[in-house]
Amino acid sequence: MEIDPLPNGTGSADTTSTETTITKTATTAASNTALSSNPSQLTESLKLEHQFLRVPFEHLKKTIRANHRTAEKEVSAVVSSFADVTDSNGLSNDDAVLSLTSLVSRLQGLKRKLDEGNRTENLQAQRCRVRLDHLESTDAEYLSVWNNVRLKRILVDYMLRMSYYDTAMKLAQSSNIEELVDIEVFQEAKKVIDALRNQDVGPALAWCADNKSRLKKSKSKFEFQLRLQEFIELVRAENYMRAILYARRYLAPWGATNLKELQQVMTTLAFRSNTECAKYKVLFDPKQWDFLVDQFKQEFYGLYGMTPEPLLNICLQAGLSALKTPYCYEDDCTKEDPLSQDNFRKLAMPLPYSKQHHSKLVCYITKELMDTENPPQVLPNGYVYSTKALKEMAEKNNGKITCPRTGLVCNYSELVKAYIS
Amino acid sequence: MELNSLKDAFDRVAKKQKLFCSKSHEVMDQIVQEIEKAIEMMQPTTLDHKSILAELKKKLHEIAPLGQLEGTQKELNIALSKYPKALEKALNPDISKAYRNIEFDSRIVNQIITSHFYRQGLFDVGDCFITEAGEAEAAAATRSLFQEMYQILEAMKSRNLEPALKWAAENSDKLKENGSDLLLGLHQLQFVQILQKGSRDEALKYARTNFVPFAGNHMAEIQKLMGCLLYSDRLSESPYAHLLSPTNWDIMAEELTRQFCKLLGQSYESPLSVTIAAGVQGLPPLLKFMTVMAGKKQEWLSMKQLPVPVELGKEFQFHSIFVCPVSKEQSTDDNPPMLMSCGHVLCKQSINKMSKNGSKAFKCPYCPSDVDAARCRQLNF
Repeated sequence: MEIDPLPNGTGSADTTSTETTITKTATTAASNTALSSNPSQLTESLKLEHQFLRVPFEHLKKTIRANHRTAEKEVSAVVSSFADVTDSNGLSNDDAVLSLTSLVSRLQGLKRKLDEGNRTENLQAQRCRVRLDHLESTDAEYLSVWNNVRLKRILVDYMLRMSYYDTAMKLAQSSNIEELVDIEVFQEAKKVIDALRNQDVGPALAWCADNKSRLKKSKSKFEFQLRLQEFIELVRAENYMRAILYARRYLAPWGATNLKELQQVMTTLAFRSNTECAKYKVLFDPKQWDFLVDQFKQEFYGLYGMTPEPLLNICLQAGLSALKTPYCYEDDCTKEDPLSQDNFRKLAMPLPYSKQHHSKLVCYITKELMDTENPPQVLPNGYVYSTKALKEMAEKNNGKITCPRTGLVCNYSELVKAYIS
Repeated sequence: MELNSLKDAFDRVAKKQKLFCSKSHEVMDQIVQEIEKAIEMMQPTTLDHKSILAELKKKLHEIAPLGQLEGTQKELNIALSKYPKALEKALNPDISKAYRNIEFDSRIVNQIITSHFYRQGLFDVGDCFITEAGEAEAAAATRSLFQEMYQILEAMKSRNLEPALKWAAENSDKLKENGSDLLLGLHQLQFVQILQKGSRDEALKYARTNFVPFAGNHMAEIQKLMGCLLYSDRLSESPYAHLLSPTNWDIMAEELTRQFCKLLGQSYESPLSVTIAAGVQGLPPLLKFMTVMAGKKQEWLSMKQLPVPVELGKEFQFHSIFVCPVSKEQSTDDNPPMLMSCGHVLCKQSINKMSKNGSKAFKCPYCPSDVDAARCRQLNF
């Protein structure tokens, strides 16, 4: 984030040689990096990276748990089928050998499966490590590169959440940051979302079954909502008997906690799908499917420790607020300010202005900060510019100053210093 | 930050996972071994296979596969539950706490992103995004604007200055207006390049045709460049060796980008990059505030101004903000900053208050001077 270190708009460079311009650029660039690598600020910004570390870990945890389950299941299956072998009396020697051999090969198969699972686990663990290392690699020297990668990560996150999978993939690949983004994790979501968009609850229900215990822990109603929708679809198709059977089987268990919704949805049996009764009409609205997609996304984000909103929106909002001043909306707002652009202004419209406790003065001419080293000076007409800009102007014009905003001409000696605390 | 403690916590997870893995292998091998042993014993004789089976059953019971795994699994589970807790402690688990639930118009956001891709030279990604998200018209203009720039920069990367020189020559008037020496800088690179190839005559010829227009303002540099001619074959050992440095190319590429963006009426940095960087700096204080304010979310949603000052780096200062040191309020058109005779500055309202609406002189709060309200002057930053 280097801000124009070159004098602009003054023609002052006419007096500066190319060589000094070059060294100036170099030193300003260096000091800027030093500035933005302010250690405490850097630490604070790293604390925002919870999702970055959490998601691959949740992914790993999920794999580990799944592998455990298969292992456990298989082992107990082997144990019980062994029990069958020993318990059956009329078993001949050959038969016993045969079934034992098959048990062995089954165990070997399980071992292979576990090996495979272990490989996945290792890959995912590796990814967790890469992320930790990435957070550590914020050297001042490469900070701008690192920041650039951060923006790309944030953009990939946005693409994935908005289902722009191709762009997400392309951006990740072309920037070589696949290890730093969660494309794989979102594959799982994509399946469910695609199905829901096709009005198919199957994969979503399977997903709920997969994550049953965690959803239960967070008191999620998502499965219930899916069931309600399936019920509504049966009513819509005027398949009332099946609807009732379905309700008995899948809705009734939720009665204890969600009786009201249950009653409401059961009432649709009395109405038809073309009902005008607002309370029930909304249940037949196809938009309910979009609602389910959103609902799923929230559940999914929750399970993986992602923020409920895309990172981009969160950072954009905070950034716009931090940058927003009443001056941003004026016509002469500098182009370097993002809020000089219409699209950014529109987004920032409903957001609060930034707050400042201390004056910060930027020279109209050089756009540099006016501080004790480069103090502000006042022209007789009350306009204020930096000493540096005024000195340069005076040197070039025999001590004369021309106010760039009003055209007033005065002598350098007429200027007074302003003390801003 | 305690990245190391996080790393340790994760290492524990990895270690326990490995342990569990090898343990389950071990158990499995044990079972297989026992069964195979039993099969072997049963093979030659048809003796009492029942007793062998019974023996095996006993053995397997002793191995107690699930029981054996239980211990390591428990340890793994502990590690698995500790790591996310460590993450939550060391990092901010939910940065969306500082988010106001204001729906952004995703079309605008998408337009901003497309422009960003194009201006960063990520043309393929931008095209792909447009196909997926729509919004083609608005972005097409940005695309063609920046395509030319990246073609020039690409050529420069392969040490071909022709496109850059052509562009700079075409826009030399505007460049001069901006006070940029880009054209001379590019000529200088070209000149040195020719000289490096060892053809002094050609370099001289190049200098004659191209340096003359700059003679007025840049005599010193041109003299230096001409001095290079003396060392044409051993420039690297000459006093002008710095002219060979590849950083000169980077600097010129940067200056070209800067000027190109300027002439396009665009900012040098991508506005999206700037905003996100500002957001990353602004979020920590906002989040801190939200933890303190927890439960007053409603207030946060209606605030017209951020509740806490967010100090951004000076690269984000685009406007002069004057905060009256007495009232601590930001100046406005109705309450402008006023310069007192001593040179200190306060806001008009503060001066009015202290002077009882100009009816009497008062003491500057920052120095011993007496101030006459009538002699204060309004300032424009």
